[in-house]
Amino acid sequence: MILYLLRRVLYAIPIALAVGFVCFMLVQIAPGDPINAIVPPDAPADVVEQVKKDYGLDKPLPAQFGLWLYKVVQGDLGRSLATGRPVWSDLSTAIGNTLMLAFCASTLGFLLGCILGGLAGTFRGSVLDRGAVGLAVAGVSVPHYWLGMVMVVIFSVQLNWLPAMGAGPGGSSDWAWDWDHVKHLVLPMVTLSVIPMGIVTRTVRGLVAEIMNQEFITALRGKGMTRGAIFLHVVKNAAPNALAVMGLQLGYLMGGSILVETVFSWPGTGLLLNSAIFQRDLPVLQGTILVLAMFFVALNLIVDLMQTALDPRIKRA
Amino acid sequence: MTLRRAIFAACIASLPLLAAGPAAAQGTIRIGMTAADIPLTHGQPDQGFEGNRFTGIPLYDALTHWDLSAADKPSTVIPGLATEWAVDEADKTRWVFRLRPGVTFHDGSPFNADAVVWNVRKVLDREAPHYDPRQVGLTATRMPALRRAEKVDELTVALFTSEPDSLLPINLTNLFMASPTQWEKLRAAAPNAEAAWNAFAANPAGTGPFRLVRFVPRERVEMVRNENYWGEKAKAERIVLLPIPEANARTAALLSGQVDWIEAPAPDAVPQLRARNMVITQNLQPHVWPWQPCFVQGSPLADVRVRRALNLAIDREGLKQLLGGFMVAPVGTVAPGHPWWGNPGFQIRTDKAEARRLLAEAGYGPNRRLALKVQISASGSGQMQPLPMNEFLQQDLKEVGIDVEFDVVDWNTLFTNWRQGCTAPSARGAHATNVSFAAMDPFFAMVRFWDSRMAPPTSNNWGFFDDPKFDAMIREARNTFDPAARDAALARLHAAGVDEALFIWIAHDVAPRAMAPRIRGFVQPQSWFVDLRLPYVQ
Amino acid sequence: MSTATTPSAAEAELAVQARQAQAKSDGYWAGVWKRVRRDPVTILCASILLLMLLAIVFAPLLAPHDPYQGSMIRRLRAIGTPNYPLGTDELGRDILTRLLYGGRLSWFMGITPVVFAFIIGTTLGVTAGYVGGKVNMAIMRVTDVFYAFPSVLLAVAISGALGAGIFNAILALTLVFIPQIIRVAESVTQGVRSLDFVDAARASGASGFTIVRVHVLGNVLGPIFVYATSLISVCMIIASGLSFLGLGTKPPEPEWGLMLNTLRTAIYVQPWVAVLPGACIFVTSICFNLLADGLRQAMDVKG
Repeated sequence: MILYLLRRVLYAIPIALAVGFVCFMLVQIAPGDPINAIVPPDAPADVVEQVKKDYGLDKPLPAQFGLWLYKVVQGDLGRSLATGRPVWSDLSTAIGNTLMLAFCASTLGFLLGCILGGLAGTFRGSVLDRGAVGLAVAGVSVPHYWLGMVMVVIFSVQLNWLPAMGAGPGGSSDWAWDWDHVKHLVLPMVTLSVIPMGIVTRTVRGLVAEIMNQEFITALRGKGMTRGAIFLHVVKNAAPNALAVMGLQLGYLMGGSILVETVFSWPGTGLLLNSAIFQRDLPVLQGTILVLAMFFVALNLIVDLMQTALDPRIKRA
Repeated sequence: MTLRRAIFAACIASLPLLAAGPAAAQGTIRIGMTAADIPLTHGQPDQGFEGNRFTGIPLYDALTHWDLSAADKPSTVIPGLATEWAVDEADKTRWVFRLRPGVTFHDGSPFNADAVVWNVRKVLDREAPHYDPRQVGLTATRMPALRRAEKVDELTVALFTSEPDSLLPINLTNLFMASPTQWEKLRAAAPNAEAAWNAFAANPAGTGPFRLVRFVPRERVEMVRNENYWGEKAKAERIVLLPIPEANARTAALLSGQVDWIEAPAPDAVPQLRARNMVITQNLQPHVWPWQPCFVQGSPLADVRVRRALNLAIDREGLKQLLGGFMVAPVGTVAPGHPWWGNPGFQIRTDKAEARRLLAEAGYGPNRRLALKVQISASGSGQMQPLPMNEFLQQDLKEVGIDVEFDVVDWNTLFTNWRQGCTAPSARGAHATNVSFAAMDPFFAMVRFWDSRMAPPTSNNWGFFDDPKFDAMIREARNTFDPAARDAALARLHAAGVDEALFIWIAHDVAPRAMAPRIRGFVQPQSWFVDLRLPYVQ
Repeated sequence: MSTATTPSAAEAELAVQARQAQAKSDGYWAGVWKRVRRDPVTILCASILLLMLLAIVFAPLLAPHDPYQGSMIRRLRAIGTPNYPLGTDELGRDILTRLLYGGRLSWFMGITPVVFAFIIGTTLGVTAGYVGGKVNMAIMRVTDVFYAFPSVLLAVAISGALGAGIFNAILALTLVFIPQIIRVAESVTQGVRSLDFVDAARASGASGFTIVRVHVLGNVLGPIFVYATSLISVCMIIASGLSFLGLGTKPPEPEWGLMLNTLRTAIYVQPWVAVLPGACIFVTSICFNLLADGLRQAMDVKG
């Protein structure tokens, strides 16, 4: 198993490199000269020439990639065209905000999903089961940007219970876990949580039903084992897979929160990406995608490793 | 963050708690801007004139200012950090500016002739250690004739232009004075000039009525009243600026009490805002939302009859309805009563019969419909609501036999293409472009569009308009240094431009804003800018 | 956003199905049909989707108005206005008409990328699974790279870099779904490849191509198809999401995501009209999801 873990970790390196290459290519496939991703279109010609030389844009593509990678590894993601600030300075705060939102949303989705899925799996075929499955399907099928809009109309505009946008009275920089700030988190979090809720419900329902059907549970039941003990057993067996789903969901939400962040003006990577797209701020676009994808690669790796460590049944050569 | 806290958050989500935040600190005004990011704070803001409005004028002063004190007259240029100025009678390219005595920057250093020279060099002198190429694009195009500055004495500077240009004092409202001392201090700790300017943006020092105390990129800026301001001090203690690009999010933020004032509320939300006692302000802006024609051979808009027909075919009242009443129907680049109006003979109005007649005269009719292609954007500063407005025009023109096709590009692309002209591949064969513009300065309102020397790549004569008659009128205006005579020359230019229908004039923006009833004292002048010293919280 | 089940779970399940499918008799599809018929939810969803399909195909016959022609004097009317049963939009165009026409683009953008991805992904996946060795290695490692991006992020990244437009959006979405289909196709094919009858066919001297065509494809297409069906729902949500962000369709084309975007400003005047396009996306997406579920269950002999 140690060997497997080691191989899995090593395998993540070429993947990460290739992901970097895809992000590098984003600027190459963008219409227009890649130089437009570094200097504003109205820059003087001699500045353009100088920058071309500095960035090695006169060199062949592989060399350019090498140079770019060298800078990225050193933490230099370039400068925003719109603001002139280093990409990383804006990105680092945005990542924190998105991570917080995605973590809260996936946790909420996970909890709701476990409850719904557990009930549905235990009482398969009942009304409860149908209701839970219905909610789960609705959760994965709903366009969440639309759900967010509807929530704003109901809870912010009509009822005036919760704020419609932003990350708190002082912005995200002085975030605190008090109601004044948390109330800003509620709507985007609930909106974003419906997807993991749906997926976790389905997964847990399947897992629980499968485990409950296994012969040894039937046997245990026959021996008069208590409900509580059976429950513990089910949890122990379902946990690794459910956690894996949850981990991946966190990654999906980090990448997928762009629409929800746009609806709620949540100062995370999604909003950053959105404004980068509309200002054609390619360095910000590239840097944000790169960091999010790397995060996802790392998360995949961690989930895999944890799953292997937790679940004795998984044996990998 | 712990699981328990997340559960807590989840639980309270379902509780019907009242979300009334704590009462805003006394005298704090929170403003929701339309920009997607905080405009640059180092003294030459980006994000168009919204940048000048919120991080330029409040934090900095320029040598000359716009008079923003009244709502009922056109805003004119008044003394700012310069108390008086005059062109040198012997050399019409040399101007002398007398500076206001006793002014200090926010960092305590004095404002003087050296500071002016330093600030001119930051954008015009490539050899200067503090030259910042990133500020050039935002500044140089707004004062195309300025070349350099020279100290005469402690409180007198001489400014030099490339050619005689009577418009210089107006242009100078765009050059904000940053503190050289503060920059030098930050430069000492920074690896290079660029980094020093970034540090300056986070910790700026100007002479303006507010000073910056907190800067969170992309989220907020906080400014407090400058107690040592040389002029009338601000009434509000603190101003908080929040970028909220999405119109609905802005409206919702105002309705839920997260901000006190929003720029450009969604027109359809105005009745709802009014029902909740919000105050809606508007005023005529020196702004034009046009279709700018391509005049080169082969373009149907090279024919003045077609241009006039388009100007007559548009139902501006219907458009006004679409915008919830938030526009003024233009009859030229400036309105009647303006010093540059000049009584043009061609009356811009809605007269579809006359439009059809002109089109028929130009050879178009039911059997030969006129096909037009217009390049437009989906959003952008000053663009109002480009998509629904253009769709409206498309429907409107269909009636008189014109089929309009749109090439929708993003705002920056449209803006960049503006400098490349209608013959460039980037125009993709468009016969008109839809870039809205500010018209408070004659250079921006007329010169850059109608002077043949301003054809791309020099400036924004996108359609390559070329008429020696117009070139001569422009030269005359720039060489007339008596303000009244200069205005008369500009009025002749404007009247000629309207007669030739050099634009399809479609709308003037009225800059609607909505504020909570507790905001008092606000004046909306006939300008893109506002005086943030005036409003206060009751 | 993500697929209905985790990749590994889906793959495992599908591999099992493939193995069961090989044991199918002539009555297999008859059995599937019988099971589908007994499933009221699947039938209901299929009927709703069929109705929608008919409605959008025959939009020119059904629509009461011109989808592009509006009028300022009747803008933002409420649901139930005479002549405008679902109200009018911000330019006074009939919502019902625009929803009917809008469905065309929304469906097109929801289905086309999946179809392309199905064709390309199946080809590559089956090749990788059947040939194995270095070819498998090459295809699957490239797949891994694209798999390392969350779907929405990849779609936004590609169409954000390429710029707005239907073509770019479809291209981006196709690229998003190809790796997912390759993974499923490869694992199902590997499952089938190792089975006895393929070995037997090989021993009898059948060419590789014939084996693939007759034995492998016949057994793997079903499971891959079911998987692809479940992607339509996701694809539709992301495609409309791109339009909602301004990256997909351009105005004045009617499309549900874009309509939702432009109607957002009307949310204070006619909230119910404004949310209609979103409801259309929701209903379509949920029906495709349930239909895919139903098909999966019906094709699972164990079911």
